[in-house]
Amino acid sequence: MDLGVFEADNSVSCRLASAVPEDCKNEDCCLGIDEAGRGPVLDSKTLSEAERENLFEKLDEAKSFVGWALQILSPNTISTSMLQRAKYNLNALSHDAAIGLVQFALDSGVQLKEVFVDTVGPAEKYEEKLSKRFSGIKVTVRPKADSLFPIVSAASICAKVARDRVVKDWKFAEDLGEVDTEYGSGYPNDPKTKSWMLKYLDPVFGYPQFVRFSWSTAQTLMDSKAVTEDGEKAAARQNNTSMLSYFGRNKPAGQTQTRETHRFFTERRLQTVDTL
Amino acid sequence: MSVNGCVTTVQLGSLSQADKSQLHLLPCEIEHDGPAEISRFFTPTVKEQKCEKTVSFRGRGLKGQEVSCPQGYTGLVLKEVQRPSSDQEDRIVKVSSVFQNFVYWNLETLPTSDDGVVKAMAWPSLAEMIHAPVD
Repeated sequence: MDLGVFEADNSVSCRLASAVPEDCKNEDCCLGIDEAGRGPVLDSKTLSEAERENLFEKLDEAKSFVGWALQILSPNTISTSMLQRAKYNLNALSHDAAIGLVQFALDSGVQLKEVFVDTVGPAEKYEEKLSKRFSGIKVTVRPKADSLFPIVSAASICAKVARDRVVKDWKFAEDLGEVDTEYGSGYPNDPKTKSWMLKYLDPVFGYPQFVRFSWSTAQTLMDSKAVTEDGEKAAARQNNTSMLSYFGRNKPAGQTQTRETHRFFTERRLQTVDTL
Repeated sequence: MSVNGCVTTVQLGSLSQADKSQLHLLPCEIEHDGPAEISRFFTPTVKEQKCEKTVSFRGRGLKGQEVSCPQGYTGLVLKEVQRPSSDQEDRIVKVSSVFQNFVYWNLETLPTSDDGVVKAMAWPSLAEMIHAPVD
């Protein structure tokens, strides 16, 4: 698994894939989908990082009939999607990534007959969504599908191995010098995670792109320890008028001029400066 | 001269020592007056394609474009030399930085010629035309 393409720019999403085995193009086959990285780093109680690496090697040895593809959503992609104006939630992001992967397999000439998916959100609805999108393919979506279907277990290994390596080898785009890699487990109450989050919190910029800003723990720490940043005023600037101005709260205090400023100037936010 | 009769003086001598850093105008109010780690957190993460710049600030996607000061004009950032103790006192400011352009950032969308800040740059040339003698 070569993560070089992602590491070259870890602020965006990227797709990585193995070669498509000839067998998969000539014979009916199935596909399993699972995700990793939503929860804390050490979320697998069943397998250690080393065991996962071993299992991934086994998968690689079976490359004559097993192929894999990864859709990596960078923390920055997730933050900017979830915090964008037209909210794009984590489940929808995950569903779209899964749809993209199935389509990728089809486009690569895989004779796909069955797809097994570890659910994200309500399984029935998700199964219906995928079945509609890919008619002719039998779709099975279940909670804990990684322990029910071997092909999803394999997908889970791929996803977790990629996640482990991405976290371990993270190259900070920010100029932070030597970065402390004692991230801990990622659980908010893990003392290591806690102290890392405090150490790398900047009062103005918050966190490096390694941290998902949409993560409630990051938000809470920024709310209590960083300076306030007001997006309402941001919207006001772009639309020229703030909602608040309709309620008369945005008028500068002590404005005594009787003649109203022409729209030409207010639209351009030009003001005559007579005081500082 | 301001409404209360006080005079504000700009120390032009400070112009030569003024800082020439790149300015960024962000689409939000940041309740902070003071230094910021721009070169550590912000500048290295700015991406540029043709005239379009992208960055994220606190997890929000921004798109930016360089905006130049109107021709013949220089941008100044002024700093008060000493805080006056009352509003009756004259005030003295120095030039803390000078700029010929700045990066104007918008939330998610690229700045357009319809944006107030971009349009404002046309005022000096328009003003010149208005005040020019009519032949």
